[in-house]
Parts: sequence; C-alpha cells; structure tokens
Amino acid sequence: MNKKRILIIEDEATLQRALSEFLTSEGFEVLSAMDGEEGLNMAKEKIPDLVLLDIILPKKDGYEVLAEIKKDEKTTKIPVVLLTNLEAAEDVQRAFDSGATTYLVKSNYKLEDIVKKIKEILKM
Amino acid sequence: MRFVNDLNLKKQAEELGVEIWQTPSFLVLMLGTIIVFVMTATYYISRVYDNPELVIVSESVVVVVFLIIGNSIIRFINQVIRLNKMKSDFVSVASHQLRTPLSAIKWETELLLSKFKRGLNKKQLKNIENIDQLSVRMIRLVNDLLDVARIDQKRLVLRKESVDLCKIIEETISEMAPIAKSRNIEITSSWSKNNPKIIGDTIRLKMVVENLLSNAIKYTTNRGKIDIKVVKKDNSLILSIKDNGVGIPEEQQDRVFDKFFRSDNVVKYQTEGTGLGLYISKSIIEQLGGKIWFQSVENLGSIFSFSLPTNKPGDTKS
Repeated sequence: MNKKRILIIEDEATLQRALSEFLTSEGFEVLSAMDGEEGLNMAKEKIPDLVLLDIILPKKDGYEVLAEIKKDEKTTKIPVVLLTNLEAAEDVQRAFDSGATTYLVKSNYKLEDIVKKIKEILKM
Repeated sequence: MRFVNDLNLKKQAEELGVEIWQTPSFLVLMLGTIIVFVMTATYYISRVYDNPELVIVSESVVVVVFLIIGNSIIRFINQVIRLNKMKSDFVSVASHQLRTPLSAIKWETELLLSKFKRGLNKKQLKNIENIDQLSVRMIRLVNDLLDVARIDQKRLVLRKESVDLCKIIEETISEMAPIAKSRNIEITSSWSKNNPKIIGDTIRLKMVVENLLSNAIKYTTNRGKIDIKVVKKDNSLILSIKDNGVGIPEEQQDRVFDKFFRSDNVVKYQTEGTGLGLYISKSIIEQLGGKIWFQSVENLGSIFSFSLPTNKPGDTKS
C-alpha cells in the first residue's frame, strides 16, 4: 500500500517537528511548510492526501490558505484539518464555513488522537 | 435594588479599585448637589444684590465646576473602557501564547513516552510521565482561566446545535472508568433509549458532564458508588449524578457555584482543584437556557443535577 501523504503547515518549529516525527513513525509520508504561502504552493504541487493547517501563520493565514485550497479544482477535494490553539466559537464556525473537514485545538489533543482523527478521515 | 446598589460607594470603590471620591456615582452625586446648591445661591444673590454681573460671574463658576467634574467622569469611563479592551486582548494573547509552548511540552513528552521510549529506565519514564501529567494539568488550568475571563466579559460564545446528551455521558463514563476503577468506585447509569435531543454546544456540555463526574469521583472515597440518571420532564432533560462521597458542609452550600470556591472538608485531603469547574459549568448551563442545582449532606454524599430544554419537534438541524 502506498504511504499516505500529509502536509503540515505550522510555523512553530517544535510543534512542526513533534508532529512530523510522530506521523513519520506512524507510517505517513510527511511534508512540512513553515508559512502559509509555502504551504499553499506545496499543496498545489504535491497534492497531499490531507493537510494539517494552523491558523496564525506568517505570509498567509490559515483561513486564506484554506479558501485557496478549496477554490482550486486540483486541491478542492483534499481534506483540511485545522490544528490551532484558537478556540473561540467564531473561529470554529469560520473554519467550517470555509470548508474545513474538522477543527482540533492543539493543547487539547494528544498526537495519538490526532493520528486517530487522520486515519478516520482517510478511512484507513 | 439596582439603584441602591449603585449608591453603595464603598463597594463600588472597592470593585473598581479607586478611592471613594473617584467613583462615578460619587461624582454624579456631587454634581447634583453642586447644581442644587449653586442654583439656590444664585437665586438669593440675585435677590439681595440687584446686579446682573454678579449673576453672570456665579453662573460662570458653576459652568467651570461642571466642566471639571464632567471631565473627570468622562476620563474615568475612558479608562475603564481601555482597561476592558486590554483585558480582552490579554485573554486572546494568553490563549495563544501560553498554549503553544504547553502543547509543545505535551507533544514532546508524548513522543518520549511512545515512539522514543527505548533506552529509558523506569525512573526516567516515571519522571517524564510526571511532566506529562503536569502539562495536562497546566493546560486545563489555562483553559479554565480563559473561560472564566470570557464568562466575566460575557464573551463566551456557545454553539446551539442538537446534542445527544446520553451519548456524551456514555463517552465521559468510558473515559473516566480507569480513574474510577483505580479508586474502587462503581459507576452505574440509567436512561431511556429514546430520549429527545437537547439544544446546546457539544464540546461545552461534555466539559460540564466531565466536571460533574470528575468531582463525584474526586470527592468520593474508597468503595464509593456513583449513579447517573437522565429523565425527561416536560420540555427538558434532567441529568443527575449522585455520589456517596464527602458531601458539602451545610454552612458553605450557598457558595458552591462561586468562583474559586472549594469547601473546607475537601481542601483537607484533595489539594488539586481550582474551584473554577462549577462556576464555569453553571455559566454554560444557564447560557444555554438551563438550570443547575444540587443537594448535599456532609459525609453522606451529593447529587448534582442540571436540566436543559429539549429540541423542538421538527427542529433537528445540527
């Protein structure tokens, strides 16, 4: 079976590394982007199976990235999981309205639970 | 009532953290008194001395006094608004800035405990487990404090979706089963299978149920029993969680839902806890249009209950 490809768009280096180490050891292929623009380009070029997306990002914020992923025919079907520490109901609502598959608050989720969610979404 | 309350200058000064003479109510009262006094004085002056200049001078003095007092009231209000803004900015900054490093600690320890465990001895593992638990506790504390800040500013936004309360309870019970088992506590539950859905915020209601159940577990000593019931009554569902734990002393029962409240008999042997859980739960339930209450007898146990309106038939949108 082919490895599933996950794109992590996260500017905080420690979080980025912890996530990618865990996902790699769970058998995923991991792509990392440190800002919104880089992330969006990678999404369009490499067409990942799923995107983990932070909201507060340099260059382009998560909402913009999400909107552009959903706008482009090539990437519109890719499930996007918002992974952020913002948790105000307005943010959650805005994320779902823009087409996010699900919304996870970083500090409330263990890496293991994030992987579980990813597998659920990818029906693995 | 409200008017009388507004006149309680000492209380107002304490709440606002200023001297009594600086409170808005006092300044307004002053303003009124001065108006009455000066008008009376002007009247008598104009009667005794038939001199329009004098009247003009005294009225100018009144205007100046008004301007000075009015200005200080406005300045005060501006300051309050600015402080309020700063407070809400702080809440959002703290929410993001504190949680990022806390999430990092949590994930790093998780990596150590799962993927990179090899080579660590028992002692080291125990150390890391402690760090892990403490980071979870710290995250919970930050979350609670942020919620309290939002509640106090009336900025807690709740979603109104159709919620299966019994499913939430089931999930919570299974998550807490290990802790309950480790303390030798038996949890039983009963409800009818076709209870209607209620209107609420799934995530927040789960928090409330978690809070009530974890309190019941935390404050019940060995060989305890906890019974959870959901019943339908008129247009609402009532959840009650009964324990045979330490209970709450009668003289402290009216403060149970207060912020930072922890009862004396509990603090003695359970040091962990902030006293924020029930305050937050009450705000959530009331904001969703429900009620929360309890009955308790010290040393015999407590029953905590809440009721929430059920979904109207036909309104099944989630």
